Parts: sequence; C-alpha cells; structure tokens
Amino acid sequence: MADDWTARINTGVPNPARIYDYFLGGKDNFPADRDVADQVLDIAPVARDVVEDNRAFLRRVVDHLTREAGVRQFIDLGSGLPTQGNVHEIAQAIAPEARVVYVDNDAMVVTHSRALLAGDNTVAIEADLRKPDSILGHPEVRELIDFDQPIALLLMAILHFVPDQEDPLGVVARFRDHLPAGSYLAISHGTRDIPARPDMSPEAMTEMGARVEKLYQLTTATLTTRSRAQVERFFDGFELLEPGVVEIQRWRPDDRDPRLPGGFFGGVGRKP
Amino acid sequence: MTEFDWGGPTVRRMLVGAQLRRLRTDLGLSRAEAAEAIRASEWKIHRLENGQVGFKRRDLVDLLTFYGVTDPDQVEELLAMAAEANSPGWWQPYGDLLPAWFRAYVDLEAAAGLIRTYEGQLIPGLLQTDDYMRALVHGAHLDDSGEEVGRRVRLRMARQMLLTREQPPRLWAVVDEAALRRPVGGPEVMRGQLERLLEASKLPNVTLQILPFAAGAHPAMGSSFSILRFPDQELPDVVYLEHLTNAVYTDKRPEVERYLDVMELLCAESEPPAKTEEFVNRVLSEL
Repeated sequence: MADDWTARINTGVPNPARIYDYFLGGKDNFPADRDVADQVLDIAPVARDVVEDNRAFLRRVVDHLTREAGVRQFIDLGSGLPTQGNVHEIAQAIAPEARVVYVDNDAMVVTHSRALLAGDNTVAIEADLRKPDSILGHPEVRELIDFDQPIALLLMAILHFVPDQEDPLGVVARFRDHLPAGSYLAISHGTRDIPARPDMSPEAMTEMGARVEKLYQLTTATLTTRSRAQVERFFDGFELLEPGVVEIQRWRPDDRDPRLPGGFFGGVGRKP
Repeated sequence: MTEFDWGGPTVRRMLVGAQLRRLRTDLGLSRAEAAEAIRASEWKIHRLENGQVGFKRRDLVDLLTFYGVTDPDQVEELLAMAAEANSPGWWQPYGDLLPAWFRAYVDLEAAAGLIRTYEGQLIPGLLQTDDYMRALVHGAHLDDSGEEVGRRVRLRMARQMLLTREQPPRLWAVVDEAALRRPVGGPEVMRGQLERLLEASKLPNVTLQILPFAAGAHPAMGSSFSILRFPDQELPDVVYLEHLTNAVYTDKRPEVERYLDVMELLCAESEPPAKTEEFVNRVLSEL
C-alpha cells in the first residue's frame, strides 16, 4: 500500500464521479475529468441540466419515500461525491431517525463520504454493487440496517455504468430477493430515447447519446444507455408507483424549475 | 484619482474583501447600508467582499470612512494591500507574524466553508491546547517576551472559536502519527492535547484522520498544508503553507490541484475517521 500511492486514487484518469461533480459545479475534479466533461458538454450542453434534474429527482424520491411511504432505511448504491442535498439530509429532515448507508466502489468517493456524511445513523462503505453479497453481508450494513423492516434501495445514475455482460438485471434481482416486503427500489438511468422536444429531434438526441457513450470509454467506467423498456425490466418483482418509468423531470414534479424532459429515465417500485 | 482594475480574483483581493466584510459586520451594518454609503449596489459590496472585483481607491476610502476607520496608518495599510493585489506572481508570501496579516488570514479562514489540513509534525493550530501552544512557542526559541507569547496564544485561541460558532466551517484534518507521538511540552501537556483532540473529533463539523507510521513514505513528507474552500462557488480554493516565520498562499488552480491531489491520497491512506478515537486512545495509553 505504501509503495503505490496512486493505485486507489488516480486523478490523472477521468472518473465518472468527478465528472458528475464538475457538472454540478463542484471543485473536487481534476484536469483529466474536466477535459472529458467539457467534451461531453460540447456534444450535449444539456448534460449539466440533466445531472441537476437527477439531483432534484433524488430529492423528490427520498422525500416521498420518507414522508408518504414511511421508509426509514436507505441504501444508496453508487452514491458519488457528497454534494448538497444528500440522502440522509433529505430523509433526516423529515424523520431524524432515518438510517442511510452510502455505498461506492471509488476510494475518493468513500473517503469524502466518510469524512463529510458519516455521523449518527449514517455510514459509508467501499464496495462494488456488482457484488451484492459483499454489501448485503457487510458488517457495517448489518449493524445499521434491519432487514426485517422496509428498505429503500437507491440506484441513481449508476446502473448505466454496468454493461449488459456484467448482468445488471441479475444484480438488481439479487438485492430484491434480500429486501423485505414493503421495500422500495428507485432507479434513474441514462437513455438515448427522448420524447419530441422543441429544441432537438429524436434522431439528434440518439446521435448525441451515442457520442457521449463513446467519450465515457475514456473514463474508469463505460456508459451503457438503455431504453424505457430495458429500464422497466429492472423493476421485475416490484409494483411501479405512478407514473411508472418516465423521464425523471416528469416523475411527480413539484413547482421548482420545471424543465424539458430528457436524458434519464426514472421510476420507483414497491416490493409487494 | 487612482483606479485599480484587474482580472481574476486573487488571494490578496480576497484578503482585503474579507477585512472589509469584518469591518462591516462588526458594526452590524447590512450590505445595503454599505452600498448606499458609496452609492453602489448591494451586489457590488457582495463582490468586493468576495474579492471578485478590483477595488477603486475612492470606494475603499469612502467605505473605510463610513466604517469609522480613521487611523491614517490603518487606512494606508489597507489601501496598500489593495494596491499590492494588483501585482502578479504565483506565490504570495506574507509575513504572518505581523498582526495585520495574521488577522487577514484569520478573516480568510473564518470565511471558509471547508478547511482541509494536513499536519506532519504538529497538532493543527485549530486543535491545539493553550499549553501545547506555549510549549511550541518556547521550543521554537522565538525571541518573545512573556507578553508576546500571551498575545500569540490569545490570537490562536480567538482563531479556534470559529469551530464552535454558529454555522461553523467544517474542518477535515489529517494528522501524522508523529504529531501524536512527539511529547511537546512533556507527557502531561501531551495528555491534555490528545484529550482535546478526542473532544474536538466529536464535534459534528470536525473530521479527524490519523496517518499511521505504517503508511510508510508518502507524497507530503516534509510539508504541511491547508486548503480553504469557500461557500461561494465562484471563489477559488486557496492553499496555505505556514512556515516558521511566514506563510505562503496560492489560489492558482494548477498549483492548488497538486495539493488537492496529494490531500486525496493522504485521506485515502489514512485511518478512516471512525478509527480515530481508538488510535488516539492507544497513543494516550502508551504515553
């Protein structure tokens, strides 16, 4: 460990978590990240709006699950670098006893999460969501989370970093099988399929998605956009809440900054 | 009338801005009131205090008059500081033993939302006890009178109050095991200091990580540094290096990023915050 200090964090290689941070206006990013991020913005200037919309979607989902569904336990898979409006802040503002586990496989993300998010009823662990058992059986998860009580599993803007050959459907199913009845699954996911919008044709959007996917090949994770039908399949074994899997901007919007739909599909399902 | 007008924000401008903010808030004045006094907008005061725009000499003189700063030396000092902000240069050394400059750093630190610090040899200033600090000053053989030592300690103590004020900044400190093991001032002083560390690490806005000897050689050997980040996203991060007799600052992004990079590595290789209590207790028991 002492001999190779860059093995776990290499700021010279573009990293999706830091690119996302840059889109959100954060400062925990480096030239390699900004280089790819700026190229993405050149192709898709809406990327910045979409990641902001994704934060807003997360806020509405956690708010709904805490306030309306009464969920008190959250596991945020692929939680990313801490920013404003983190899950425990949203949930604990409504229910101070809410418990949150942040999971990420990126050492820098976990270091920041442990330093800035961890506290009462909140832990951050370093684990890979593609290995569900390493998370479900993790001692810190077992200590904080009661697997006999409803749990909300959050997969925000992360499954598109799991390519088909790594069996994302199997991964989600494995988590599902360990969740007690009354638990929830929330997903947001990058897509090329976009409804007609005044500023862009569907063809242009598809083309844009393809080029962005290609750029992410330069990073530590590849990007796989998926269709609505493909995203819906992740909810096998769940009952989708209204309005189903839709563009995130259309999922129970509130009055705050309504924007044109596109970029990500999202939905929330309940395990019966 | 001389006008100063220049490009991107610099540390010196931020320092002048931070002092202006302190002068105003000490008097309980709003930005709007200050704006009216110099026939400007509230937004302009906001930008001046954040060091985002250059200072016009006339605005500065008017503001200082409005704030009741009449001592010609003090006025000249601030005007000179604003003028100096015009000079380029990557590194901007300050004689930090001068009270005015030290005060300026305190203002800057107090304006930060996140203070990340790595200390290789010492307990970070914000977490030092009175006795530890006195022992350090004696150990440094600084030619100080008792009064001078007392003044330094008072300054440091005043600086520490920011951790417990309302809406405090977050301190994220990495401290080398060496700093815990070196018995500055003897075992009793050190015991008090380590207990103070334990206490501070329980504050909700303080994160303390220990870099163990077991980590071996590391990228920051021989240099301690701090990175200040401000709540206003437009302000650049500032790196601060404190030396024995002075300090240097930089806000140049390429320089700052080298320090950020090293800080990331140090944080990742240090014991996680949850292990700090156990670690410090072990050192205490071996004292």
